Amino acid sequence: MPSAGTTSRSAPRGGSALPKSGAIPLYRRSYRQEILAYSFLWPSLLILAALFVYPLVEVVRLSLHESNLSREVWVGLANYTALLSDAFFWNTFLNTVIFTAGSVILHLFIGLSLALLLNTKINQLFRSVSRGILIVPWLLAPTVAGMIWVLMLEPFGVFNSLLALLGLVDASSSIAWLGDSSTALGSVTAMNVWRAFPFFMVMLLAGLQSVPQQLYEAAKIDGATMWEEFRYITLPELRSVITTVVLLDSIWTFRAFDPVFVMTGGGPSHSSEVLATAIYFDGFQKLKFGYASAEAMVMLVCLFIVSAIYLKRSMGNDR
Amino acid sequence: MRAVSPAPRSGLGMIVRRRILNATAYSLLILAIIVICFPLAWMFSVSVRPNVEVMKMPPDWIPQVFTLEAYEKILTTPRYLRVFVNSMSIALVVTAMSLFLGTLAAYALARFDFIGHRSVMMFLITTQMFPLVLLCIPYFRIFVALGLYDTLTALVIVYLTFTLPFCILMLRSYFLNIPRDIEEAATVDGCSRVGAIFRMLVPMSWPAFIGAGLYTFLLSWNEFLFAVVLIESWSNRVLTMAIYSLLAEFVTDWDTMMAFSVLASLPLVVAFILLQKYMVQGMTAGALTA
Repeated sequence: MPSAGTTSRSAPRGGSALPKSGAIPLYRRSYRQEILAYSFLWPSLLILAALFVYPLVEVVRLSLHESNLSREVWVGLANYTALLSDAFFWNTFLNTVIFTAGSVILHLFIGLSLALLLNTKINQLFRSVSRGILIVPWLLAPTVAGMIWVLMLEPFGVFNSLLALLGLVDASSSIAWLGDSSTALGSVTAMNVWRAFPFFMVMLLAGLQSVPQQLYEAAKIDGATMWEEFRYITLPELRSVITTVVLLDSIWTFRAFDPVFVMTGGGPSHSSEVLATAIYFDGFQKLKFGYASAEAMVMLVCLFIVSAIYLKRSMGNDR
Repeated sequence: MRAVSPAPRSGLGMIVRRRILNATAYSLLILAIIVICFPLAWMFSVSVRPNVEVMKMPPDWIPQVFTLEAYEKILTTPRYLRVFVNSMSIALVVTAMSLFLGTLAAYALARFDFIGHRSVMMFLITTQMFPLVLLCIPYFRIFVALGLYDTLTALVIVYLTFTLPFCILMLRSYFLNIPRDIEEAATVDGCSRVGAIFRMLVPMSWPAFIGAGLYTFLLSWNEFLFAVVLIESWSNRVLTMAIYSLLAEFVTDWDTMMAFSVLASLPLVVAFILLQKYMVQGMTAGALTA
């Protein structure tokens, strides 16, 4: 490949655009490159700047005001101090962390197990059909997935009947999974696990398929057990893909709005409230735009920390 | 690693071992498919039974009365049909715009080494991790001020926040793998630079366009948060919002809601079955283009 401007990492490993050192031209004669590049870039950059930069400035400004639809009063950091001393906020924050950690850990566990199963020596056709079927939950809108689960988790819904059929609960019991503050958050997390594990499965399967086969052959000759193969070959080879998907999923789950909003609306009595829904309710129902903006800024800072790790990893490879 | 190497295992033992492992893999996979498909099967099964049967306790595992009345109700109610048209037009317009603008930007990022390259890349990656709910507050106020509140135009614009950076990054990583000689040869032959992009580079990158296009379509088709914030009237609602409204409006009308869900998921599932390969590429690239 002739020297493309920069090189990049386009696949977890074994991609064809592996970084090649020395591919970056070291000198330039004029600003021709800049003029050409920005003549192609400006429409996208202009749109994205309008969509991100101005709103961000606006949110920062709002978070320093007490604001509703009709008036705005400068209050300095009062929204932030109110927020940080609000027990509701900390409860919401904790819920978000539980929701995120639970989803990500189970996504990883289920996704990795299924990827390993799909990577065994099974029939080609069966493999691609299974992969196709197992991806379907990920294609559904979170709203649709949430609705299916709301229906199943109704007190007289099919989930309780299934449990009764398996002998886990009494046949006459009607547990309101979403109506009970001790089970609501767990139920939403379960739905989110079901909906989004295929992302991990697909990514990890792609990672597994690019592990060099010679490594396993060498291990076989050394008499390694299956666990040893997994522990000393598969896991280290997958480490970079796992880190990437865990970081991305943490970010996406932390900011997720749809699952909680459609399934419980944060209830009962805020037991399943997460940051995204709290921001929505404070902003659009209580019309406390300033307070909601402050909450959004806290969320932004949290996401920024995780994003910084991700950026460092992905941009670090770009030179 | 343990370096114990006993005498090679007996051939028969190996075959039996492999058979057992294989059988375990098949049975675990089939079990996983059954468990994971159950909610999907239930969605379909509820959509084809009359609503009175839905909340029966214990439930009938197979519908006692098979009926398509829920589907009929959706397909004969104009305001329900309208949301399909709305979602489809928004998703198509957003996909077309993202791919077009994305092509130009991706070309610049793949082919030129310019001041600010790194910053633009970093900006694009960061936008994909931005909390979208944060943007809702200013968007709501801006679109009310612009008189675009409760219009489909507003949704098309804001959907670009997550589709455009994705398309740029994915197309860029594909363009990097295509030798630049190809467009240069076309330019020598009298093609303009833009002409070379759209006559040479784009046709050569069709798998990336299918992958990015499908994923973009999926994202806009499934979006919910911006629709809730920016749309009010039924005539401008999109699918996800309409399905949610059914819960709010008629708490017990589950068969209609599930029929709606089936119809909303069908285009994506069919597209996926036909184009699985590119879609998977789109998924993986979406996360790893950086």
